[in-house]
Amino acid sequence: MLKMHNIRKSFRTDTIETHALRDFSLEVKEGEFVSVTGPSGSGKTTFLNIAGLLEPSTDGQYLLDGEDVSNLNDRQRSHLRNEKIGFIFQGFNLIPDLNLFDNIDVPLRYRGFNAKERRKRIEKVLEQVGLSARARHLPAQLSGGQQQRIAIARALAGEPRFLLADEPTGNLDSLMARQVMELLEFVNEWGTTIVMVTHDPDLARRAQRNIQIVDGQVCDLRPVTEQSDAVSA
Amino acid sequence: MFEFKPILSTLWHHKASALLIALQLALTLVIVSNTLLIITDRMEKMARPSGMDIENILTVNFLAIPQDYDMAGAVRADLDMLRALPGVVDATHSHQIPLSGSGSANAFQTQPNQETGGEVANYYRTDPHFIESLGLALVTGRNFTETEMQVLAPNEQRQAPVIIVTRQLADKLFPGEDALGKPLYNGDSPMEIIGIVERHLGAWPEWSKAGNVVFFPALRTTQSMNYLVRTESGERDALFKLLADKLAERDSERVIEVNTLSNHMARSYAVDNMMVKVLSTVGAMLGFIVALGIVGLTSFWINQRTKQIGVRRALGATRTNISRYFLVENSLIAATGIALGAAAALIANQYLVRDYSQPVLTLLPLGICALVILLVSLGAALAPALRAANISPATATRSV
Amino acid sequence: MIIYYISLALRSLRSTPILSALMVAAIAVGVGAAMTVLTLNYMMSRNALQHKDNVLYAVQLDSWDPNKANDTANEIPWQLTYQDAQALLRSDIPTRQVAMHRFGFTVEREDSHLRPFVASARVTSRDFFALFDVPFLYGGTWDSAADQAHTQVVVLPKATNDRVFAGENSMGKSITLNGEPFTVVGVIDHWNPAPKVYDLTNSPFADAESLFVPFGLHRQFEIDTWGNDSGWDSGSKSEGYEGFLQSESVWIQYWVELRDGEQKQQYETFLTAYIQGEKAQGRFQRPLKFALSRPSEWLRLNKVLRNDNRVLGWVSLAFLLVCVINGVALLLAKFLRKAPEAGVRRALGASRSALFIQHLIESAAIGVIGGIAGIVVALVGIRTSRHLAMGWIDTVASMDWLMMLAAIGLALFASLLAGFYPAWRISHTNPAIYLKTQ
Repeated sequence: MLKMHNIRKSFRTDTIETHALRDFSLEVKEGEFVSVTGPSGSGKTTFLNIAGLLEPSTDGQYLLDGEDVSNLNDRQRSHLRNEKIGFIFQGFNLIPDLNLFDNIDVPLRYRGFNAKERRKRIEKVLEQVGLSARARHLPAQLSGGQQQRIAIARALAGEPRFLLADEPTGNLDSLMARQVMELLEFVNEWGTTIVMVTHDPDLARRAQRNIQIVDGQVCDLRPVTEQSDAVSA
Repeated sequence: MFEFKPILSTLWHHKASALLIALQLALTLVIVSNTLLIITDRMEKMARPSGMDIENILTVNFLAIPQDYDMAGAVRADLDMLRALPGVVDATHSHQIPLSGSGSANAFQTQPNQETGGEVANYYRTDPHFIESLGLALVTGRNFTETEMQVLAPNEQRQAPVIIVTRQLADKLFPGEDALGKPLYNGDSPMEIIGIVERHLGAWPEWSKAGNVVFFPALRTTQSMNYLVRTESGERDALFKLLADKLAERDSERVIEVNTLSNHMARSYAVDNMMVKVLSTVGAMLGFIVALGIVGLTSFWINQRTKQIGVRRALGATRTNISRYFLVENSLIAATGIALGAAAALIANQYLVRDYSQPVLTLLPLGICALVILLVSLGAALAPALRAANISPATATRSV
Repeated sequence: MIIYYISLALRSLRSTPILSALMVAAIAVGVGAAMTVLTLNYMMSRNALQHKDNVLYAVQLDSWDPNKANDTANEIPWQLTYQDAQALLRSDIPTRQVAMHRFGFTVEREDSHLRPFVASARVTSRDFFALFDVPFLYGGTWDSAADQAHTQVVVLPKATNDRVFAGENSMGKSITLNGEPFTVVGVIDHWNPAPKVYDLTNSPFADAESLFVPFGLHRQFEIDTWGNDSGWDSGSKSEGYEGFLQSESVWIQYWVELRDGEQKQQYETFLTAYIQGEKAQGRFQRPLKFALSRPSEWLRLNKVLRNDNRVLGWVSLAFLLVCVINGVALLLAKFLRKAPEAGVRRALGASRSALFIQHLIESAAIGVIGGIAGIVVALVGIRTSRHLAMGWIDTVASMDWLMMLAAIGLALFASLLAGFYPAWRISHTNPAIYLKTQ
C-alpha cells in the first residue's frame, strides 16, 4: 500500500520546528493498522506530511498503492490525496464556518461527484458515526468526541484506501478516546489501511504493528506485542 | 528602550504587508500634495477681490422684439424707474455683464496709430452711474458727466473722448507715472483718462489679463441691453421678482431675464469650484481609506501576535512598551512610504507642470502634506496599538 | 465547481461582515470616483461626426494681424471673416459647404398664448443639415436663393416645434422672430451632438440651437454674432453695419465636405489661389496659411478635453490604485487569517490552483458588489459634478450602459488585481503547519 525508500527531507526555512528525515525506508501493507511513535521532533510529522502528499520529499522514492508519487505535480498529488487518503487530526480541523454536512461535503466537491452522489455518501457516513441528526449543526455546537467523529466521517466519505491519523485522541478524554479508537478499528476491519501517529503507548499497542521514528529514521520494526513499555511520552 | 532590531526583523517577516502600507502612503502623498497645490491655487483665484459689491447686485438682460425699438428711450425710462424703486441704491446700463463670461476686449496704446504693443483690456459702454451701481471705488480723478454720454447707432464707430480705467491697466500702460489725464489710443483719436477705479475683474476671471478694464460713457442702441442694479444690503432677493415685473409692466415688447451678479460669478468660477470640491473629496476619501487599511492591517498583526505580546508582558514589558512597539513599527513604515512618496510627488508634479500647466510644487506644502499623512498613519495605528497594550500577560500561559 | 466557489466566497464575506464591507466600500469608492471622472472624460472626448470623419473639414484662413499671430493652437483664427466666408461659398468644389454662426431671436406666435421667449439660433447656409447628417421629421432645408437674398424661412428643432406648435406638423405655418413673420420649411428630429463639434467657440457642451435660419438674412436684421467675434484692424473701410460685414473681424464658422483626396487637393489649390488673390489687394499680409481639420482633429485642436479633465483623470486613476493596494493588504490579512481552513482543504484534496481560484473568486465577488455600488457612487458623482458645473457640462453629464458595464469591468479588474497576490500566497502556503495542533 505504502512503500518509502531512502526518503530524505530537509528544510531551508527556520520557522518550522521539524527535523529532516534521512534514509527513511518503510513499507505498510494493504489492510494494516500501523502506529507510529517517537519523541518530539523525531520527524513523525514530516513523515505524516510526506505520506499524506502534503509535502514532497527532497529525495528518495515513495510508492503509494503501487504508483510512484515522488515526482507528481501539485494537481496530481492533490487528486491522489483526495481519492486515496483520508486525514484525521488531533485538533479535528473542521472548518468552523461550515456545518457538519458541508464539512463532509468538502472532499467530495473536490472529487467532482454530483449533488446526488454527494448527498448519498454524506448521509451514509453520518449514519456510520451516529450523528445523522446533527447534520446542520456547526462544529462549535458539538463536543470534542463528536467533532472527531465528524472528522472521521469526512475522511471516510471519499472511501479512501488509506487513513492517516495524527494523534486522533490527543484532545479527547479517555471515554471519547476509546470510542474513536473503536471506530478506527472498525474501519480497519473493513479493509482501510491506517497509519496512526501517537505518543500514547496504550494506543500504539492496539495497532497491529508499531514503528518508532528516532532522529529522522525508522528505529525499530517489531510486532507491537513484543515491544517494551519504554516509549516515552 | 527602542527595540529597532526586533521591529525590523518582524517587518522583514511581514514585508509584503509593510510594503503595501508604505506604497499606499507614498501614493497618497503624491496625490494629496499635488491636489492640495491645485486646490489652493484655485481657491486663491476664486478669492481674488472683484472690486464689485457682488452680493447686492441684480443683473437684467433684455432682448427687444420690434426691429424699430427705441432703445435710448427705453433705457432712460427703465433706469429712471429702477432708481426710484425703494431698496435700490443705483442702476446703470452696460453693454455686457461683468463676470458673465461674455464681454468685449480691445488693445489700447499710449501712442496714436501704434500697430503693436499696448495692453489688451476688457471694455464696457456704460453711464455715470456705473461706479455707484457696481460699488466700485474711484481712487483718483472724477466720474463721467451726463453731458459726456454718447448715444451710438448699432454699428457706429465713434471714439469716446474720455474714459475711466482700472488701476491695474493704468499701472501697466504708465508704469511709475500718474496715468490721470493721459491719453489712450485705439486708432488715431485720443481718449483722456479722467478717472481711475481701484479694481474691476472684468468679464472673464479666467483670463490672464483679467482686471484690465476700460469704461466708455456710451450707449449703443442694439436690440439687446443689460442693466446692473445695486440694492441695499439684504434687499436683493426681495427685489428680484419685483424688478422683472416692473420692467415687463412698463414695456412688454421684450423678453426680460433677471439674474444676480453672484450667480454670474459662480458660473464663471464653476470649473474651478468643481476642481476644488472634487479634489478635496478625493483627498478626504483617500485619507479615510488609507487610515482604514492601516487600522485593518495593524489589528491583523496584533491579532497574529497576541501570544507573543502576552509573553512579552509576562516577561515584564509595560503597556507603554507594547503600544510604543507598534507605533514605532508604524512610523518606520510611514517614514519609508513618505520618503518614496515625496520623491514621486516631485516627479509627478514635473509632468503636471509641463503637460497640464499646473502650479509648481515646493517643499513647504510637500512637507506639510507629509506631516499630515504621518499623523493620519500614527492616528490609525494608535487604537490597535492601545488595544495590544491591554492584552493580558495571562495569554502567554493559555495553550489554545 | 464555480458555483461552489461562489457560495464559499459569499459565505466567507458574510463571516467577516465589517472587513468585507470595508473592502467593498473601498472598491466602490475607488471605482465610483474613477468612473465619475472617466465617464465625463469619455463623454467629452466623443466625436459625434466620427462616421464622417474622413470627409468633413473645418476651414481656417490666416487673415490675422500682420504684426502678431493669432493665439489659437495652430496660430490661425478659429473663425473666418464674413467677406471670406461669402467668397468661399462661391466655390463649387466641395460636395457641401456651410458658413454659419450663432445668434438669437425673440420668438412669438401670432394668435397664441405662448409667452414670448428668447431662442438661440444658427444662421447658416442650407447645406448644414445634409453636411452634419441632421435628420428631418418634416420638410427640409431652404432653397439656395435664401442663402443669398433675404428670405424669412426657418427650420425648427423638435423641441422648439413642441413648444411653439405643440408638436404638430408646422410646415408652412408662421412663427414670429424679432417681431417679423417667418415660414417654417422644416422640422428636424432631436439632434444634440455633444461635444458640439460643429461650433466649439462658445461652450463645447452647450445644447444645439433652437432655431435655424438662412445665411441671407444678415443685412435685413443687422445680424451680429452671439458668439466669439475678434478683430485686430480697427480702421474699417465703411460705416455702419456694412462696415462690420466688410471688416477683418472673424466670427463665421466654416465647414466643407470633400469626398476624396483629389477633391481635397483641388480645394487646397482653390484656397491658395484665393489667399494669393486677396494678398494682391492688400489683405492676408501674414505668410500664406490655412488649415483643413477633420472633426477628430478639430476637437483635439480646440482642447475640448481640458487640462483639468486630464488631471482629474490621472488623480482618479491614482486614487483607484490606492484602493487596489489597500484591497491587497486587507485581502492578504483576511486570507491569511483563514489559512488553517486552506490547510484543511489542501489535506482533503484541493490543489493549489483550486485554492487559488477559490480565493480569486472571493476577490471577484467583492469586485462585482463593489462595482455595482461603484455605479451608484459614480451616478451620484456625475450628478454632483453636473450641479457644480452650473450648466457647463449638462449634455455630457450622464452615464450610458456601456460605461455602467465598464464600471463593473473596472471593479472586477481592480479586485482581481487586488486578490491576485493574496490568493497566490494562500494557495502556496505549506498546509502542514496549519494542520498540527500547537
